[in-house]
Amino acid sequence: MTTSATPPGMVEISIDGKSVRVPARTTVFDAARMNGISIPILCHLQNQTPVGVCRLCVVDTGARVLSASCVRPVEPGMKVVTNSGKVLNARKTLLELLMSDHPSPCARQEKSGDCELESLAKSAGITQPRFVKRAVTRGEDDSSLAIAVDHDACILCDRCIRGCDEVKNNFVLGRMGKGYSAGIAFDLNAPMGDSTCISCGECMVSCPTGALTNKGLAGTVIAAGTNAEIFEAEELLRIPVFKGVSGTFLELNRGAIVKRRLHKGEVICREGEFGSTAFYIVEGRARVSISSPIAHVKTEGGAKGFFKKLTSALVGRDEDKREDEARDRTIPIDASVDLSYGNPVAELGPGDLFGEMTCMNFYPRSATVVAESDAVVYEMLRNVLDIMFKNKTFRAQLDETYRRRALENHLRGVPMFADLSPEFIEHLKAGIELQRFAPGQTIVQQGDAADSFYLVRIGFVKVSESYPGGEMVLAYLSRGDYFGEIGLLGGGIRTATCTALDHVELVRISGDDFRDMVARFPSVRAGLEVIAAERSAANQQRLQMVHSVPIDQFLSQGLMEAQSLLILDLQNCTRCDACVNACADAHDGITRLVRDGLRFDRYLVATSCRQCRDPLCMVGCPVGSIRRRNSLEVIIEDWCIGCGLCARNCPYGNINLHPFEVLADDAENAGRKKAVIKQKATSCDLCTHLKEPSCVYACPHDAAHRVDPKQFFAEMLGQGSAK
Amino acid sequence: MRIDRTHRAWAIASLAILAISFLVYVIYALKTPQGPRGGSAIGLLFGIIGFCFMIFAALLGARKRVPTWRLGRAQAWMRGHLWLGLLALPMILFHGGFHFGGTLTRVLMWLLIVTVASGIFGAALQHYLPSVMTSDVPLETIYDEIGHVRSLLWEEADRAVEAVSENLGFTKSTVEETQRAGGFTALRPIAATAVPLRTSAAVSAGASAAVAAAPQIILLSKEQSAPLRSFYFNEMRPFLERPKRGTRLADVAASSSTFAGLRTLLPAAVHATLNDLEDICDEARQLARQEQLHRWLHGWLLVHIPLSLALILLGAVHAVMALRY
Repeated sequence: MTTSATPPGMVEISIDGKSVRVPARTTVFDAARMNGISIPILCHLQNQTPVGVCRLCVVDTGARVLSASCVRPVEPGMKVVTNSGKVLNARKTLLELLMSDHPSPCARQEKSGDCELESLAKSAGITQPRFVKRAVTRGEDDSSLAIAVDHDACILCDRCIRGCDEVKNNFVLGRMGKGYSAGIAFDLNAPMGDSTCISCGECMVSCPTGALTNKGLAGTVIAAGTNAEIFEAEELLRIPVFKGVSGTFLELNRGAIVKRRLHKGEVICREGEFGSTAFYIVEGRARVSISSPIAHVKTEGGAKGFFKKLTSALVGRDEDKREDEARDRTIPIDASVDLSYGNPVAELGPGDLFGEMTCMNFYPRSATVVAESDAVVYEMLRNVLDIMFKNKTFRAQLDETYRRRALENHLRGVPMFADLSPEFIEHLKAGIELQRFAPGQTIVQQGDAADSFYLVRIGFVKVSESYPGGEMVLAYLSRGDYFGEIGLLGGGIRTATCTALDHVELVRISGDDFRDMVARFPSVRAGLEVIAAERSAANQQRLQMVHSVPIDQFLSQGLMEAQSLLILDLQNCTRCDACVNACADAHDGITRLVRDGLRFDRYLVATSCRQCRDPLCMVGCPVGSIRRRNSLEVIIEDWCIGCGLCARNCPYGNINLHPFEVLADDAENAGRKKAVIKQKATSCDLCTHLKEPSCVYACPHDAAHRVDPKQFFAEMLGQGSAK
Repeated sequence: MRIDRTHRAWAIASLAILAISFLVYVIYALKTPQGPRGGSAIGLLFGIIGFCFMIFAALLGARKRVPTWRLGRAQAWMRGHLWLGLLALPMILFHGGFHFGGTLTRVLMWLLIVTVASGIFGAALQHYLPSVMTSDVPLETIYDEIGHVRSLLWEEADRAVEAVSENLGFTKSTVEETQRAGGFTALRPIAATAVPLRTSAAVSAGASAAVAAAPQIILLSKEQSAPLRSFYFNEMRPFLERPKRGTRLADVAASSSTFAGLRTLLPAAVHATLNDLEDICDEARQLARQEQLHRWLHGWLLVHIPLSLALILLGAVHAVMALRY
């Protein structure tokens, strides 16, 4: 039953006599998993949609028949029994039936001894099935160069089909035939080698038996240097962090992971470089740093000398500081630690993983890592890291490192959480759950019950809202951002859909902990309520725009998404370039606007940052240096490493890279610094240090204006009030 | 700067100053038996006010050199320049009692008249021409980039013609795929092979349809392509390199009829290429128009600024000499 104490959107059930509370619509299998109760599975993979075809996960819910727990949603007051004699007997019978239709040992069991069906049968004590083996053979398919297909070993669990369709979106595999001849088929039952299969291997890795196995002809190899050793599958399986990884997979990916022995001072990776591998430290220590974040991406105040001071006074420069800069800042990097802004150096040791975002999302390296002592690291490609993340032991170890080293900083990095007591932080540390999402995966769905609050740890999350006829992107969230508070503080229903844009990791704070937190810390509640109200109001306003803006051109030029446009009234503008000169004068001689762009009516939308509501430029920044503070403008922080991703992402060409002179470590003289030229991204900062954009201030012809487009063009768009 | 309703306050204030000054001058002229003179107290006052107005007007140039200094919005300075600069003329006329005096004062007076006249002329140009440029040049680009855009245009035209006939023998830029003309699209690299090259202005004006890849076309024989090659070598290429008024392609109607004539001489399969060439000519014509308008918009300053400086300098000399001697 749902007791009076059960929060909205949550359901209370009992599993094996243990009372548990889970979000509505959770499956019985997930409810049990979340509460540490194990139910055997065969056709179910946690990264695929459950289908409940093998029935091996049956449980007793008190209904007339046993239910497949992977597809059965929880109901209030449900009493689930996972291990009664009736349930165990049913599972054993199912295993016997499956084994009667399966050659034993199959190819996988022979090669790596990890056929899931045969392992389950062995653990259930089944040696010789009672049932007669099938007389009809479905044959083998040896046409593919990479993958061997044994149709007789297939148990029709559909994991390969879902892997091909849902995970890789290749849509090559399907079901074919009826009765005893039913099996998987490639395209319209073509031989695998002749089909449109691209041999990605997802079906083989998904297969629980020896129906799809590696022929050992295809593989991936990291370009190995002199210090790299390639592992064999058996050797890898002996390493604790690879415990539980499929032998088929490791065999297929021989060469996708190498062991590197590094000497003290050797560079493991450099900031700004592109790569595709992650590193796991086994022995030794490494120093992670970013080179001198102190550089003039923005024009600083603080003039020295009489004339400079006089000039500064005339210019009216303020200190370029915002409210949230008073507290210590940290720079997020692609490792289990954050770097301090003042001293961007940290140490990594055995058990630390770094380069995860580069490996999973192909973002540039966010920092330079140098061996601090002689060290041994595993360097791995994305497919290896991906499979390792499915390993609960490895995940637990990484999560523990994160909890210990970075979670507190991460929580404290959220302005509202600054007042949390150390005790409560400790309490949260123990209670939080780290969750991973694949690109495109829905994290929360609009209209669902709100049961958790999320902090973004890695990757980018798209927040969107459905409206009749379409979807509106409300925001992109990156590391340090959070979501879920509106639903928890409001009516308990999700008001927007959040989707992983790339490989995303989230810190999930349960609804209970969240409610406890806001009850105990009124300042946290007040802060969150303000933010929630602001977000709701902004979202409403944006959706109203969608309904009221009739002009295609306005939409096609993305003007609706802009918060602040630099427009030039072409009937006033004499093309004197005073705006461009003023911009250059305000930014160390480098202009951040180009007097060219798209025209809307008699206005030129100049090439200058639009402060988009939907800032695509922020997606992918490896060090989080392009971001919003608590103001509308998109700013580029001093620690930009100049990788240029934001410039490529900006659809309007409003971000440019310029060389700046910075101090960096001198490789030839240890301990000394030397001036080097580094690229850094620049975009319009609205001259926040000058009270008003210089381009507007310096326009002698009343042509340049910084405007909110929806207000400025309101009359033109038929919305009544004019600018 | 457009002289519109937003200038009302300045206009009223200027008229008030003029009216009061005129009233003072009339009273002063009537009450002075020997007539108004620059050396009298009232005459000197008019002279000082007029010279101050001139100095303020001249300071606009200095103000523009320090655009980020918070010395008041540049727009206010410009309005002050226009209206106070205009008022300087009656003030100086009141100062001299409508007499031009000796050589230096005569020169000064004519300098002032020509400077104010050139300013009025410039203000009129800057009032009207931006609208004309906006309507006449939808493919406007940055003025300094016109030469580069023009070279890209003829390279694009070369490629279009070569695509249907044979090689024209012109050398081509090798950097076109990495850098486009200045301005909006210049910020992004565009592969030359992906789309026919168009200028930034075309894209700026939303002419993205014109950028679409050309449909499949045939290669014409030498005889078939002769009219096109002849037209291209003799008329279009020279026009693209150096657009001259008086040529057929410089005129919209004549250009249109020229291309219509070409269409009758060439097979339908190359009409898409002709459309592209016509668009290129249109853009080249617009660029020429932009150059012409730009020269009008800013060319008058070549007269106005040196005269203003001479006026201030000689005015100072006159003031020192008059007060000292």
